[in-house]
Amino acid sequence: MSVLNLFILIPFFGSFFALFFKKSAKIFSFFISLIPLYILIFMKQTILSDSVEYSWVKVLSIYFDLKVDDLSYIFLFTTCLIMPIVILAAKEKESFLFSLLLLFQGLLFVFFSTKDLALFTIFFEASLLPVFFIMILWGGDESKKAAIKFIVYMIAGSSFLVAAVLALYFSAHSFNLDVLAKTAEGIPFAPFIFAAFTCAFIVKTPMFPFHGWLSDAYTEAPLTATILLSALLSKLGIYGFFRVGLSLFPTFMEKVNPYLLPLAIFAVLYGAFAAWMSLDYKRLISYSSFSHVNFILAGLFTFNSTGHQGALLQVLNHAVTTTGLFLVASFLEEKIHSRQLFKHRGLLQMMPKLCWCSLIFVLATIALPGTNNFIGEIIILFSVFQDNYLLAACLALNVIFSAIYMLRYMELNFYGREIPKERGFTDIGNEQVFLLLPLMIIIFLIGIYPNILLKNFGVIR
Amino acid sequence: MNYLNSADLLFLSPWIILLFGALLILLTDCFFESCKNQLYGLTLLTFILAFFFKIYAPHTENILLTNWIKSDFVSHFFTLFFLLIGFLSACLASTFFKKFEAEKLDQGEYYFLLIAAVFGLVLIGSSADFLPLFLGLETLSISLYVLCGYVKRWNISKEAAIKYFLLGSFGTAFFLYGVALIYGATGTLNFDALLPAFQAITGKPEKTLFFAGISLVTLGLLFKAAIVPFHTWAPDVYEGSTTPVTAFMATGTKIGAFAAFIRIFLEGLLHFSPLWNLAMALLFVPAVIYANLVAIRQINLRRFFAYSGISHSAFLLIPLAASTKSSISSILLYLLVYVMATFLAFAVLTILDKEKRGLYLEDLKGLYFKSPLLAGFFTLSVLTLAGLPPTVGFLAKFYIFKAGWESGLYFLVIVGLLTAIFSAFYYLRIMSKMFTKKGDILFTSSYLNSSFFVAVICAVLLIFSSILPNFLFNAIYQK
Repeated sequence: MSVLNLFILIPFFGSFFALFFKKSAKIFSFFISLIPLYILIFMKQTILSDSVEYSWVKVLSIYFDLKVDDLSYIFLFTTCLIMPIVILAAKEKESFLFSLLLLFQGLLFVFFSTKDLALFTIFFEASLLPVFFIMILWGGDESKKAAIKFIVYMIAGSSFLVAAVLALYFSAHSFNLDVLAKTAEGIPFAPFIFAAFTCAFIVKTPMFPFHGWLSDAYTEAPLTATILLSALLSKLGIYGFFRVGLSLFPTFMEKVNPYLLPLAIFAVLYGAFAAWMSLDYKRLISYSSFSHVNFILAGLFTFNSTGHQGALLQVLNHAVTTTGLFLVASFLEEKIHSRQLFKHRGLLQMMPKLCWCSLIFVLATIALPGTNNFIGEIIILFSVFQDNYLLAACLALNVIFSAIYMLRYMELNFYGREIPKERGFTDIGNEQVFLLLPLMIIIFLIGIYPNILLKNFGVIR
Repeated sequence: MNYLNSADLLFLSPWIILLFGALLILLTDCFFESCKNQLYGLTLLTFILAFFFKIYAPHTENILLTNWIKSDFVSHFFTLFFLLIGFLSACLASTFFKKFEAEKLDQGEYYFLLIAAVFGLVLIGSSADFLPLFLGLETLSISLYVLCGYVKRWNISKEAAIKYFLLGSFGTAFFLYGVALIYGATGTLNFDALLPAFQAITGKPEKTLFFAGISLVTLGLLFKAAIVPFHTWAPDVYEGSTTPVTAFMATGTKIGAFAAFIRIFLEGLLHFSPLWNLAMALLFVPAVIYANLVAIRQINLRRFFAYSGISHSAFLLIPLAASTKSSISSILLYLLVYVMATFLAFAVLTILDKEKRGLYLEDLKGLYFKSPLLAGFFTLSVLTLAGLPPTVGFLAKFYIFKAGWESGLYFLVIVGLLTAIFSAFYYLRIMSKMFTKKGDILFTSSYLNSSFFVAVICAVLLIFSSILPNFLFNAIYQK
């Protein structure tokens, strides 16, 4: 069995067997989720040269066609990095949760490495279900409502994708992305097909007019689902733009970029303002995540290779920082049982460890020099500047705004003279710090010496 | 050759077995008081025997038969399919009888009528002429009229039976009248001879007669398939009948109607007039939108499944309107998936059933915490019906859309995709009800019964075909 086969199958089998573990499901699935990470890091060359092809549905000429290239590798790496942390962070003990998490990982693996557009569509939609289940099973009433809203939005987006894929299939008679890359732009109605693809990916990411589900879903969902949504599921749309938009319709992408770029930048600022005005710190982080995802899109829409490299780097950075922020926010919520910003102040005195950990992620979000986001955002800003300096100026405002709202989060929770009225808040334990440690290491690693990862990712050749 | 030889009798064996099985059950019920508990087993045996005989039944070339009954792949497929449906319905019925022992229901007649209905269905699936088709439709309908009102003490069932009988007779009458007009125009009732006879028509009056006949036949079949605007009977009848009968109607009647559609319009009169295809296309849009919008408001589950069934049969108008090569196989695939998912849902409903009113949406609350397995089954069924990947329901819908897109019905595909958003909403809402903690769903008995067995079979088939869809696609393709 080839390495790629093994790589794809491990999470699926893990997901099945996790159901039979009662108490040790968490440990089991944690170790299972480490195996793909190991394969990705230490067997990189093998997995890049490997490919898998089976006929899955012969009649519809859908092939189970997998191949990992540099682009897939970055997204796969992000998934593999976040999943063990999500599994360890889960507070629930039911083995079904871990089964769903591993299933989600497996679905993403197929999605990020497939070369078949039909399979791409199927797994694009299928990856919603584990998150949906987590939201309705382990969330409160609000989470259930948010879950339905979220999935209806997502299915609406996916229906665009299905229509586009069907249209493409009947013009090109193939689902294979390599074949389609040669013919896609010449077929009739290609602009409409491209528009449908764009809509599907924009809803998934989400970009400005389609973000209605986002704040409820991120805020109300249980922690695991929130991290999956913000760190990983939002990357599906970005991957879609890279995989389908750039390789199938490069000239269309170039044509619509002048319209999409301002929209993305508007969404960045919109998210920043919404975060600024939030009174609920989890909602604040949700909007901050929304704002930064759109930063990635801004890099993507610049249509020069610098911008794309910055966007790819930000994919990993955003996943790491958002995961960290949601983790520290959930630790805080666990301790103070409130999500309101103005309720407790001066928590630094009682929970110094949590405060310092939060500060690192907050500074990374602000893109302080020396942290990972600085590198990614500066690359993106450069490339936007090449395109249009006015827009670059607008985008650069975000650096100020993110400083405002993120420091507000720090200030209103941890600093301030007042001593919290309720006594007895305890600090987080060492195990929680340990959980955050890998994320912090990556933040500083990329921030101080980005080439170690940039080269390895093939972003800079 | 003017007589039937043994091979021909073997070809007819499914019908013969069903007939004798049904009669045997009726006689046993009348004369052998002590064997009453064996009737269920006898019914299952009848279906299984007929199933195996059909698998190995030879094809026939005998002119005495081929004029009336076809022995091609589609008839083979439908016969096996209907026998399976009969088998699964009988399993559901047995659980129902155990649950409602207090009503003192007589089982013999029920099984007799069920087998009779399946007999009619099998006849529809293999008919080569309007006459056997009509016979099949009537055998099916009359049995169903009785089955609907089977629990005589339930007022709700009485109402359903009367409603179904009155409206159903209208539907049948339209159909029969249409057949008469077609015969008047062409002088033949055989499906294979219909297209040449139609093309030979030159005079305007004959043409008018033919089209009038065709539209009446279509109307009758649309009525049986419960497609908007001929659907009004379905919700009331589904709500009033017992759960196993509803399951049989939701699957059997619907598939019977589409089998007739395939026989007449996709085989006999393929591409006879673009007008007919246009009519089907025009019908699709209001049908699917109406059914999906109304389904959102339903709180009674049997009624809900009536509307969801209406929207599913509306979906099958796309391949009918497309009338391409892949139309038949896309209908067959969709029906297979739909039947498995519907039986899965109804098996769970039968297990949970407690009163005559059936289950309401609120009754599902907290099912996951009482019985994760049943909730899992129901979830699988609902996801398949909603057509969400990775279930095979997505591929079934995709195949339908493909058939539509192939023949340029872009608008229909887009409407279909948009309504899929609605359907996702109401199916997933049911699901989220099951995962609510507050509920206090009651189990009156253990669920290890024949309905559970049905659920396991359907669930295994659905999961298996989701992972390896080639298995399903092979089943619907002619070797």
